Amino acid sequence: MVEPDLSAYVGLEAEPPRVARYAVNEAMIRNWVEAHDDHNPVYVDDEAARATGRPGIVAPPAMVSTWVMAGLRRYREIQHRRATGETEDFAYARMLRELDDAGYTSVVATNVEQTYHRELVPGDHVTCHFTIESVSEPKQTGLGRGLFLTLLKRYVDQHGEALVDERFRLLRFNPGGAA
Amino acid sequence: MSIPTHDVGTTLPELALELDRTTIVAAAIASQDFEDVHHDPGKAAERGTPDIFMSINSSNGFVDRYVTDWTGPRGRIASVSLRLGVPAFPGDTLRLNGEVLAVDGDRTTIKVVGSNDRGPHVTAEVVVVPTGGVR
Repeated sequence: MVEPDLSAYVGLEAEPPRVARYAVNEAMIRNWVEAHDDHNPVYVDDEAARATGRPGIVAPPAMVSTWVMAGLRRYREIQHRRATGETEDFAYARMLRELDDAGYTSVVATNVEQTYHRELVPGDHVTCHFTIESVSEPKQTGLGRGLFLTLLKRYVDQHGEALVDERFRLLRFNPGGAA
Repeated sequence: MSIPTHDVGTTLPELALELDRTTIVAAAIASQDFEDVHHDPGKAAERGTPDIFMSINSSNGFVDRYVTDWTGPRGRIASVSLRLGVPAFPGDTLRLNGEVLAVDGDRTTIKVVGSNDRGPHVTAEVVVVPTGGVR
């Protein structure tokens, strides 16, 4: 098998800036805290949040990526394009196509680092800028042969002010190639 | 009083999470993550794992919860650095333990390890500050 040379993707914008489909809101926050059985009142109770010096309820920090998720309809569209071999015109889509073609079809996230510049509050409208920071050489892992991809994500609010900086690493691997 | 009195070496109480299938699916969907490995056992098997497994964002959320369960509502998480080890599957008990690694002014660094019977699932360093503290 010819290994893909992905070095040309390093440093590129991964995809167009992803703009949240809706503002940070109480309903999505409630779904999250109930799923995690998190009883911290600052996520659901304005008065309790104000007692801690906050302006009102805030979103759980780990929720930041949730705000820019594309939604089920878009997810199905991406899966359909992937199945039919159609590649969208941005760097990350082209890189994933090369990985699919080389057999690295499975994915598992391995690391996340997030620096929270401030807490998100209802009404914030998040945009995320994605950059491809690095791509490893193919290597044998416990799951099979694969490559580690590292993305930088810069989340900003509707005024362009920094919210969160993130480094996200994932492994794309060949599920048939376990050691 | 802001967050509990602590020093380097202070340990946090253990949190034992019984991870049932509903928790793993609900947390993935709450984060709008529709990857089939987080809800479809058949697809997960095709992709090389024996069952659905918890998403990294959900693990991150449980680490948040674990730390702020200890700090109380006046704790604000300033940063996290997290890596995953073995997957977390339905039926696992995820045992979260934490220890204060460093105290620098009002910034407290906590190491959190969440393990199941197969080993560490998540290892994280979390920096927490009191609300109203220096940002």
